[in-house]
Amino acid sequence: MNYAMVLDYQNCINCKACEVACKEQNNVELGADKQRIWVGQTDNVIFGNLFVNFYPSQCNHCLDAPCVDVCPTQASHFVEGGLVLVDQKKCILCKGCMEACPYDARFVDDERVAVDKCTFCYDTRILKGETTTACQATCPTKVRMFGDLDDENGDVIQLLKQRKFFVLKAKEGTVPKLFYLVPENDEEYALQSIGHNNKIYTWDEMSPIIEAAKAKRSKQWKKS
Amino acid sequence: MEKIVIAGVEINRVSIRQLLFNKYMLLSYILLAIGIYGIYEVIQMRYFLVGATAADAGMHPGTHQMVTAMKDAVFGEGGEVKREAPWSLYIVNYMYMIYTGSGIIFLVALDEILNLQIIKKTAAGFLTFGIAMVIGGLFTIMVDLNSLHMLWMIGSPNFGAGMWQMLPLYMVYIPFVLFEIYLLITKKGGWVKSISYAILFLSVIIDIVEYYIQANLFSLNEARHLWTTYPWLTLYFIISAYVAAIGVMGVYSFFTYRKVLKNEYHTLIEVIRKTAVITITLLAVYEALAYLSIDKAWAFLILFGPFKYLFFGGYILLAMTIPYLLLFKESKNYMTTLASIFMIIGTYIGRYIFVYGGNAHPMSDRFGTGFEKYGIYEKFTSFIYYPPERAEVLVVIGSFGVILAVYTLLNKLLSVSKIREH
Repeated sequence: MNYAMVLDYQNCINCKACEVACKEQNNVELGADKQRIWVGQTDNVIFGNLFVNFYPSQCNHCLDAPCVDVCPTQASHFVEGGLVLVDQKKCILCKGCMEACPYDARFVDDERVAVDKCTFCYDTRILKGETTTACQATCPTKVRMFGDLDDENGDVIQLLKQRKFFVLKAKEGTVPKLFYLVPENDEEYALQSIGHNNKIYTWDEMSPIIEAAKAKRSKQWKKS
Repeated sequence: MEKIVIAGVEINRVSIRQLLFNKYMLLSYILLAIGIYGIYEVIQMRYFLVGATAADAGMHPGTHQMVTAMKDAVFGEGGEVKREAPWSLYIVNYMYMIYTGSGIIFLVALDEILNLQIIKKTAAGFLTFGIAMVIGGLFTIMVDLNSLHMLWMIGSPNFGAGMWQMLPLYMVYIPFVLFEIYLLITKKGGWVKSISYAILFLSVIIDIVEYYIQANLFSLNEARHLWTTYPWLTLYFIISAYVAAIGVMGVYSFFTYRKVLKNEYHTLIEVIRKTAVITITLLAVYEALAYLSIDKAWAFLILFGPFKYLFFGGYILLAMTIPYLLLFKESKNYMTTLASIFMIIGTYIGRYIFVYGGNAHPMSDRFGTGFEKYGIYEKFTSFIYYPPERAEVLVVIGSFGVILAVYTLLNKLLSVSKIREH
């Protein structure tokens, strides 16, 4: 198992149903700053045309996650499926993982006095036999698709084999597992929502990177 | 004064009144009281903040607690820790106290190896003040951490994490320095004398290891490029700690040795002055070269962006330029004291810029098209800065009380500031 998520981000209409579903499903603390997932937004002007981009995001469950390395008590750890989780009872609130995360995907849960982040609904849905996360299940425009990178016949791999995609901040070398699909229709226009420095991958290019990172880190994956 | 001798160490027989109610202890009590009030505020904020989840909202609609929690969720400031800038004044103070205290210990060991007689005579006092600063730094970080879960540092250690390595480091470091002080204040017998040089060399090695671990703590934060692209972070921490340490030694000498040393005071001040000139020069060269290689996104924010006044007007001017001008020629003793005060303030600002600057460049430009808002209530920002909370400032003030109390107690009992001929 190697869980990941594919995002057809250009479908996002910023309805925030995913944010609400996440809070409801995972009992996340209320508050604008307390989000396991969020829809980022940028406004910009190109040649006089104002445009807005919506960027749905969450923890990237990096295969080579720096947040796990810096945690002094192994509160941040890998579990089967290459997920990065936080054992909140072990968190000493050093905030090292928050500093290490290139995506600001972590926050402090003030009720539990510990760091919190996206779990891909591992404890609340996946372990109970569900095959989707709450954010995927609730999305009206089918932005997200959760799945297993080790399942060659699975929807995620099939999609990644068909479409080009990119990952966030690839240069940081953390091997993130949120795969953002490059829009198919009117690709040239849609590419304006992606920075010029973002490398666009095919699955054949990405697969060896994933395998190398998995080989390096899978020894640390704990059984749940 | 009457003495009790235990393991070769003469302990002053002082009354409780002399020990606990002298003017320095009274000052430390005031500072500690401020710090304790800060801790009270931290505890209130951390453990008694009313939060709520969607389930709470469904189960307890309309209750006063729910209303408070909802109000805070919508209009609040996001709790004690800011998601975009998790490390704050606690880390600044921790870094300053620990690095500077260790810097004093490091410099004294080096000077002893170099056989500088005036430092040998005053070493016990300097070392004790250094270790008091380390304890002051640890006090700050203990307030910052969730102490209720600290047992997991032993129960579930991650040996590779810089943060975890602090634990064994200081469990070795503090007793080791106390042993060094013991060697200095005890009446040296055969075996003590024979190992003293070995201890000095070991001390230098432990200091270097300490700065290496501290550098490791910052350089593992891969996306915070101020910290990861600062060249040779270990060396930077050592050099900048030297400048801060010399500043503290200058002020400490003024208060402690000005009258006691009489004619030799100028000799001590001259050692401090010359060391200051060398270390300031090293730091200036280092910073000039470092900012050529630091990631430009961070370098621009510090050099030309919102931090520029603090950087040039605070750090560069106070820590380096003014002290250098005051010290580069031999002058009156008070000039060194004055320069030392500037160095203390300037290097503190330097640490502030290092920590706050590391978080200043938002992580939210994830798609490479500009900084994002995280949510409808969030502000769009190209620069992240949250001024320290009042509780943090109070705790920092309290840490000065810890230093003063630790030093005064040890000095009253062991007369560490006494001039010793070796």
